[in-house]
Amino acid sequence: MARYGMALDYKNCINCKACEVACKEENGVLLGADKHRIWVGVGEIEGEYPLLSIVSNTFYPSQCQHCDEAPCQMVCPTNATYYGEQGQVRVDPEKCILCSYCMNACPYDARYVDDRTMTVDKCTFCTDTRLERGETTTACQNTCPTKVRIFGDLDDPQSEISELLRTREHFTLKANLGTKPKLFYLT
Amino acid sequence: MIAQIKEFITTIPVKKVSVKDLLSFEKNFANYLVAAFVVVGMAMLVIGVITYLGHGHHAYNVTREHPWGLMIAVYIFFVVSSTGLCIVGSLGDVFGFKDYELISKRAIFGSIVTILAGFLVIAFEIGHPVTMVIYNVVSPGLTSAIWWMGTLYGAYLAFMIVEFIFLLKNDMKMAKYFGLAGLLIGLAAHSNLGSVFGFLNARPISNGVFYPTYFILTAFITGIFIAFIIMGFRYRLRFNEEVKKMLTGLAKIQALLLSILIFFVTWKLLTDIYGGMPDRAEVAIHILGSGTFWAEVILAMVIPLVIILKTGGKAHVALVFASLSGMVGIFFMRYNLVHDTQLKPLQMLKKVEYQLPPEWVHYFPSATEMMISIGGLAFCIAMYWVGTKAFNLDADH
Repeated sequence: MARYGMALDYKNCINCKACEVACKEENGVLLGADKHRIWVGVGEIEGEYPLLSIVSNTFYPSQCQHCDEAPCQMVCPTNATYYGEQGQVRVDPEKCILCSYCMNACPYDARYVDDRTMTVDKCTFCTDTRLERGETTTACQNTCPTKVRIFGDLDDPQSEISELLRTREHFTLKANLGTKPKLFYLT
Repeated sequence: MIAQIKEFITTIPVKKVSVKDLLSFEKNFANYLVAAFVVVGMAMLVIGVITYLGHGHHAYNVTREHPWGLMIAVYIFFVVSSTGLCIVGSLGDVFGFKDYELISKRAIFGSIVTILAGFLVIAFEIGHPVTMVIYNVVSPGLTSAIWWMGTLYGAYLAFMIVEFIFLLKNDMKMAKYFGLAGLLIGLAAHSNLGSVFGFLNARPISNGVFYPTYFILTAFITGIFIAFIIMGFRYRLRFNEEVKKMLTGLAKIQALLLSILIFFVTWKLLTDIYGGMPDRAEVAIHILGSGTFWAEVILAMVIPLVIILKTGGKAHVALVFASLSGMVGIFFMRYNLVHDTQLKPLQMLKKVEYQLPPEWVHYFPSATEMMISIGGLAFCIAMYWVGTKAFNLDADH
C-alpha cells in the first residue's frame, strides 16, 4: 500500500496561485474560503529603497501536512479524523460533531469549516477526486507551471519523491513538535 | 429489580410545586433583581437559540483562527462551578466534617443544576450535538481529552443525582459511597477538561501540566464562592451561629486556596516569560497587559483574599459580596483561558492573509453568544429556585 507525501521545491514558486484555483475547482471548495485548504505564504520585501532585501521576498506554498503523528487525529472525540489507507489524514463528515478541537490542535492552521456540511474539512491529497479516478497526481501538482510540487509514494524507493528526498536537502515545518509531517520543503 | 427501582424513585421526598409556589417569594430588592434577571435571561436564551437555529455558527463570532469563543468559556465556568460545589458538598457527607454537612444537600443540588446549565450551553456550541451523542458511543476517540471529559462528566452527573437522592432520603451511608464515586469521577473529568488545553502542543501558552491541576484548585475556590452566595440568599445575610461557624471555616480554606492560586499564577507567568520562548513568552506578556486578566486577579483573588485576611474570615456578609465579585472574576478567568490559548496566530507562513501580518487573533463575542450564555445562567438560577421549592435542601438534624 502506498504512503503518500509531497515534496515542495518551494523556491520555484512564483505565487501565481494556480494551485489554489485548481484545488478549489477539483475539490469543490466554496467561494470565499480563500487560503483555507491550500495557500501560498508570502514573505514581503523588507527594507527601504534602495536597500531592499530581495531574499526576504519568498513564497511558501502549504496545506495540510498529513502528519504521521497528527495532533488533529489524536484529539478527535469521535474518530471523525482518521488515517486513510495511504497515510492521508482524512475527515469523515458523518462523524464530525464540529467541536473544533482539531482546529485548535492543528499546529499548521490547515483546517476550516465547510459551510455546506458544517463540518471540518481540509486537504485530502485529492483522495476523493483525482486518486479515486485512478489518477496519480493532485490538482495542485498537476497545474503548477513551475513544477513546485512532487506528489508520490514515500514507501516506493523508485518514486520521484523518494529519489528527491534522498538527493536533496529538505526540511519539514514545526518539526520540533514531533508531528512527522509528510510535506517536505526542498532546499 | 424493576419493582425496587420503582420503589426507590417513588419514595424520593419531593414536594409538589405549583406555579403559584414558584412565584411566591419575599418581596425585597434583591429577590426582585434576581427574578428580573431570570425572566430577562430566559427570554435572551430563547432569542439566542432561535437565532442560532436560523444561522448556525454564523451567529457566533468564532472564526477559523479563533474557533472557541464565549460559550466554551461559559461551559467551563459552569462545569468548574459544578465540580467545586461537588467538592464543597463532599466535605460533609463524604469526608465527615460535621460543620460542613449543613451545606451538603445545597451544594450537591447546585452541582447538578450547574452542570446541566453547562450542558445546555455546550449543546448550542457543538455543531452537531446529536451526532456527538451517537458517535461518542459508537466510535469513541480514546486518545481525545474531550471524549474523556464529556464521558466522565456524563457519569459524574448520574452519580451526583443518585447521591442527592440518598441525601434527600437521609441515607448518609449510601450518599457517602455515591458521593465519593461522584467526587473522584468529577475530579477526573475536570482535570481532563484542563488537559483539553494542556495537551495542545500547537499552543505553547497552554501546553503542559498547569491547567489539569489548576482546574481542580480553581474548582474548589469557585465552589466556596458559590457556597457563600447560596448561603447568603438562604439566610438573607442573617446567619445563625452554626452557619457562621461553617462559613468561617470555608473562608479560612478559601484564604489558603487563593494564596496557592496566586502563587501558581505568578509562577506560571514567570516561567512563561523567563527565557523568552517564542509563542509563549510574548503571549504571556500580552496577557499581563490585558484588562480581563487584571479583572480576574482583582475580582477573584485580591478582593476576597484581602477581606478574609483582614477579618479572619468572620465578615460573613462582606464575604458574600466578595464571593459575587469572585464569581465575576472566575468568569473572566475562564474567558481568559479560552481566549489566551488562541491569541497567537498559527500563521503558517500566511503572512499576507489579512493584508497585514496579524500579531494577535482578535475576538469579541456576538450578541447571540452573549444571550445564550446569560440565558444559561438564568436557567441555572431558575432550576435552583425550583429545587429549593421541591426539595428540602436544609440539613436534617
